[in-house]
Parts: sequence; structure tokens; C-alpha cells
Amino acid sequence: MFKRMKTGASALALLIGISGAAFAQDREIVVAQGIDMPGFDIHDHRNTAVEAVMINMFDYLVMRDEKGVLQPALATDWEVISDQAIRFNLRKGVLFHDGTEMTAEDVSFSLDRVTKDPSVQLNLFYKAISDVEIVDEYTVIVRTHKPDAILLNRISNVGSGIVPKHYVEKVGWEGFATAPIGTGPFKFVEWRRDDRVIMDVFPEHWRGRAHWDRLVHRTIPESSTRVGELMSGGVDIALPVPEQELARINATDGVETKPSPTSRVMNLFLNTKEGSPLHDPKVREAVDLAIDEQGLIDLVMGGMGVPTRASIVPGITDVPMELFGTYLYDPERAVELLKEAGYGPGELTIPLAGPKGRYPRDAELLEVISVMLNQVGIKTELSILEWSAFQSRYWGIQNIDGMVLIGNASPLGDGYQQTYRFVCGALWSEMTGWCDERFSELVLAASTSTDRVERPKQLGEAYHILTEGRPILPLFQLENIVGMSSAIDWTPDANESLWMYRAHPKGN
Amino acid sequence: MAKYIFWRILQMIPILLGITLIVFLLVRVSGDPVLLMLGEEATAEQIEALTKSLGLDRPLYVQYLSYLGDVLQGDLGMSLRYVNQPALEIVMERLPATLTLASTALLIAILISIPAGIIASVNRHGLPDYLASFLSVFGQAIPNFWLGIMLILIFGVTLQWLPVSGWDNPWSVLLPAFTLGASLSAVLTRILRSSLLDVMGQDFIRTAHAKGVSPVHVIFGHALRNAALPYITLIGLEASSLMAGAVVVEQVFAWPGIGLLAVQAIGSRDMAVVQTIVLFAAVIVMSINLIVDVLYSFIDPRIQHG
Repeated sequence: MFKRMKTGASALALLIGISGAAFAQDREIVVAQGIDMPGFDIHDHRNTAVEAVMINMFDYLVMRDEKGVLQPALATDWEVISDQAIRFNLRKGVLFHDGTEMTAEDVSFSLDRVTKDPSVQLNLFYKAISDVEIVDEYTVIVRTHKPDAILLNRISNVGSGIVPKHYVEKVGWEGFATAPIGTGPFKFVEWRRDDRVIMDVFPEHWRGRAHWDRLVHRTIPESSTRVGELMSGGVDIALPVPEQELARINATDGVETKPSPTSRVMNLFLNTKEGSPLHDPKVREAVDLAIDEQGLIDLVMGGMGVPTRASIVPGITDVPMELFGTYLYDPERAVELLKEAGYGPGELTIPLAGPKGRYPRDAELLEVISVMLNQVGIKTELSILEWSAFQSRYWGIQNIDGMVLIGNASPLGDGYQQTYRFVCGALWSEMTGWCDERFSELVLAASTSTDRVERPKQLGEAYHILTEGRPILPLFQLENIVGMSSAIDWTPDANESLWMYRAHPKGN
Repeated sequence: MAKYIFWRILQMIPILLGITLIVFLLVRVSGDPVLLMLGEEATAEQIEALTKSLGLDRPLYVQYLSYLGDVLQGDLGMSLRYVNQPALEIVMERLPATLTLASTALLIAILISIPAGIIASVNRHGLPDYLASFLSVFGQAIPNFWLGIMLILIFGVTLQWLPVSGWDNPWSVLLPAFTLGASLSAVLTRILRSSLLDVMGQDFIRTAHAKGVSPVHVIFGHALRNAALPYITLIGLEASSLMAGAVVVEQVFAWPGIGLLAVQAIGSRDMAVVQTIVLFAAVIVMSINLIVDVLYSFIDPRIQHG
């Protein structure tokens, strides 16, 4: 934010002949993203980029550190008292931004709506929780309907942010959505829609005062403008940065780029139903072998991304990491497999569809995948549609005609999330026509298992069955690029969070 | 005159009705907001439940009639993108930004075009004339998003004289307003030049010169006033293109006005907000046209409305 004062005030300073020093101000950090907040109702949104901003104002009972490991936050410790209940001891002396103290009443109130009201968007992740019992002022017991191995994962998201009961009861959730109060390191000051969210430091934050006096989140939809602001010093951190801007930023003094890993994996979903050429496992394997994942990353994604054979990323619990960081590519073998399946070069045509503008470089990915398939003799009927049209024609109405490109994220950070929909009869199993009894048995067992030794084995085997069965071909972990001022010390973490408590000026 | 204005306002009603119908249908055929809101993880049950709760499962004509009924009662619906916030409030709070941008752009266009048009017509076929003609063709030919990005690069990033984007302080408006006003100033320069040339050849100007009136007084006292009619007509006509141009310029400069809101609302199929914006834009454009028509009779009393 140091250079920023030059921009707006320089002309004025020149005109009236005063020095820039007169504009010295508090320490401010400005972060720019392409999207705006939908409001600050922490239960009614579904966007990682929104949570990334909200986390600055709210704390959860348990929060992830930069490596994605769960750490005590508003709860100092917890005890698993049965496979359906955990007792949390709350931190004492935690203050809300209005100066009142957080107690068990607030925790119970905060979780009550998101676990019980199906009309709020995050209810999906929290409906497994049956009730929150207040034991005393600083102790609660959270219970689930069924044994739940991922209760801690659930409550480490913004949907379980703790809000002040007395305030929400006074202003209602609608009032809260435009004037939120939490316990986070920054407190809400102002929201100008499609422009900026302004937050001031909350000096009484239980972790201690943040390094910044003011945090501004700006909305700049046009990526070249976002990069322009970064290079002129108007913003300190800009994301995402398109791959084609990498060189321009890296050639400029004072700014740099860093990779920002996401939990999103780009996948091809395959129609394995009878009547589809992909019903034949050999054809599915041929498609897998024809696609050069590292080639896609290098050619299309500017080197950003990690190939994977399962829809998993580092930091997700109970998943077989040997399937991550690796891929299969053998075009000669792909040609042989097609021949064994009865298809000569050019004799097989498979529809390939995907969205444009939903994920970074999605349309280009589809085009290059199409060329790669062509090289082993598979023709494609390529449909690249704007997201809403794509949803209406393919994904949203659960119609996979051949292959579709989709990116799937794992916000709960657990291996169950990308497998349970392939259980026989579940959504993705129906969409792809793939059903495996052993796989379903393992995933269902893992869904209620709290056994920390058995569960990784169950999910591990399930992922291997899925990888061999190929109703889904994972391509690579999506990595965003973050552009930032070199004067700031901050590393994007695996949670895609923009928690600026962790950022500080270099040298401090 | 009062009768004329009354009739013109009455005529707006069927036009507005037509506009609401077209926009209502366009927003609905272009994509399903429910699928957008629920994303990759949506299940059929969730899609059905949300569709029902938004009332999108009803027949189109029922939805349209209920929308019209609500509009008549001043309820323009709730935004989908900004959860549970009224569309009218969201659009109204953006008006100042767009009006500031458009009026600054218009002011810049006028400040450029009047001297440029006069200099070009006075020096007909001279170097200033060719220069003004070249610049006005150039100004009209370059797309405003490109001009915007170039201005950001030069004045924002390289020279760091002006803010790159957003609406932070009074200087923020200069780059977007210049971008928006550039092509308008080009059009206005050309029309002023040609209408001045027209007027300058007429008898009363020759008479003025013969009477020994100073050339400056001839231009400002006689010629400019007579050449103003097509110039003002054009400003009225171009008001709608200023609104349209603001859509692109606001997006490039992250200017928090109605144009940026429109793009974002269309992208997220935020139906109530899109409909409200179009209604507002229609009313604004029609009002400007009416004002221009009324202004005619003040500038040229020979034009009578009745």
C-alpha cells in the first residue's frame, strides 16, 4: 500500500505543491479478486473466494493452519466422547467486535441455523449435525445423527463461524448480511458493492493484534486491470492472475507471482453406459493413455498444476497419495487398445463437452484434449458452452453424452467427498453408469467409520477401484497464480484462504 | 408545450411494457440461475427445491404477470447474486457512479469537440482541419475497452499519475470518463465542423462580415448558435450510447456503476437486477430524448411542439 498514495494523490500533490509525505497513513493492505461478496450471511453462499474474505472477520472452533492441518481456535481442545459426539472446551475471554464475550450460547446459536435450515446453501455440509448441547458457559457437545469421521472437517469452514447471538437476534440475518460482527482479527467497516469491503484491525483479537491497521478487499473483474493495479501499487495482492500475465509481472520490480494450490481437480467424467463406446473398459483406458496430463499443464496452464490419477490433493484426509503427482501416458498402447476394442484410426467418434469461462483456460484445455485424442485415432465432437448453457445441456440435467470436463473441489478436505457420489445408485454413479459393489461397500463403511487406522485403508482401496474403473479421469490439480507485492511476506495456502492475519510487511 | 410533454410521457408506458416483456423473456431463455447458484455439486432434489422456492416452476405468463403486479406496487424483486437484498436498492445505489461517469465523459467530449470543431472549420483544408479529422476518425474507430487498457498502462501503471481503477477519490473518474468520452468527442467534433461550415456559407454571416463584425464575434455570436441544433440533437442521440459504452468502460475500470452491475448480473442470471437495470436505462434514455426535444424549441423558436 506504500506506492498507492502516489497514484490518487500525485496529481493533487503536484498541483498544490505539497510533498507525498503529508499523505502518510496507517498500514493498509489491499487484496483484489474478480468477484464481489454476495453479502455476509456466513450460511448462505457457496463460493471459496467468498469464504476467503469472510475468514478475516470470523473464527471457527477449529481452524486449518497453512499446511491444512486442523488446529485449536475458538475451542482450546476437544474430546471424542463417542463416535457421534465431541465435547469442545471453549477459549475464555474471546471478544466479539462489539466488545461482548463469546460463550457457549453463541456457539450453539451459530450452529443451530446452518444445521437445521435446509434453505441456506451450506446446510448441505452441516445437516449431519443433530444438536449442540450447552454444558456450561465454556463447554459444548456437538452431536451427529450418525457416526461421522469428518465432524472436525465440517466445523472448520466459515459456515460454522461463530456469531454473536444477541446481535443477530437484534438485527436478523438480513441485517447481519450487510453489517456482520464476528471474533476475527479484522472488523467490518464498510461494503461498497462491486467495489470494496473495508475492514479495520480488531486490536482485542484473542490471537493478538494483526500487522495491518486496515484490510481492503477490492473487486476488480477485469484481469488486466487487476494486474495493472498490482503493478502500480494500487493493490498488494491480486488473484487470480491469468497465465498470460505471468511474464509481465515477473519482469517488473517490486512485484512477484506465487502459485496458489486449490482443492479443485480437473476431471473428465465418462459415460460408461451400455450403448456408449466408453462402455468398453479398453476404450476408457485408451482415452486415459492418450491424454498427456503434464503436456496439458505445460502447454495450456503455463506449468501451473500437478497431474493426478485420483481427484485428490495434498491436505485431504484419508486418501491414497500415491495416486497424486503421477499420470499414465502411452499413445502407442492407446492405439493398440482401440484396435483390440475393434476401432481402427478415425473409426471412433466420442462427444466431448465442457464449459467456457468457468475454470482457468477451460476451453483451451478441451481443444488440446481433443487434439491429443485425435492423435491416437479418436475423433471428438467438441461442444464448448458458456457455463449456464453447459449446465442446462449436460451437467445440471445429469446427461453425460460421451465425456464432459468438470472441476471438482473438496471444501471439507476429506476423501469421502469425491467418492460417495460414485456409490451405486448415487448421483455420479447414475450419471456415468458406473457401479462397483466392492467400491460402494468400502465408501459406505468409511462414511460412518471413526477408526483412524481402518478408514484410510477403506478409502484408499476405494480410490484404487475408481481409478481402475475409470468412470472419471482425473487430469490435474488446479493451481491459481497470485500476484503480489514483494514488500509483503505471505504465502498462499492449501485452503485458498486470504487470511491476512498471517501476512506481514517484509522485515517486520 | 405542457400538453406535448404529457403526451410524450403517456407514450412511454406501452414502450416500457414492451421492454419489460422482452427483457423478462430474454433473461429466462438465456440460462437457469438455479444451476448457476448450485454449482457442480447440485443434486436433482436441490435443483427442484430451489427452482420452486424462487417461483421458477410456474408457467412463464404467470411469472410475468406476477412480476408486473409487483412492479406496479414498487417491488422490483430480490437479487439472487446479493442474497436477500432488494434489486431496487442495489440499482439505486449505483446510479451516482454511472451518472458521475457519464456526465464527466459528456463534459470532456464537449470541452474537446467545441474548440476542435471550431478550429477545424475555420482552417478548412488546413493542417488543423486534417489533424482534427484524423483524430476524430481515430477516436471513433478504436474500441473503448482497448483505449481503456492503454490509458491504464500509460497513466496508471507507467506514469502513475492517475488511479488505475475503482472509485476511491475524485481523480478516479478521469481515465474512465476520458475513455467513454473519446468516441463521443470525435462524433461531436465532426458534426460541429460540418454544421459550422454550412452556417458560415450563409448570407447572414457574409452580412455580418461585411458590417465589420469581428471574426471571433461572428463565430461565437452568430455561427455557433445556429450550428448548435444538430450538435445538441446528436448529444441527445448519443446519450444512449454513453449508457451502452458505460457497460464496457465500467467493467474495464472496475467502476462500481450500473454498467458493471449489469454485466455481473447477467453473468449470474440475477433476473430481478437485470430487469430493474433495463427499466431504469429505458426511462433515462427516453427522458433524455424528451429533454432534447423540448430544448429544441428554446434554441430555435421556429420549432413548435403541439
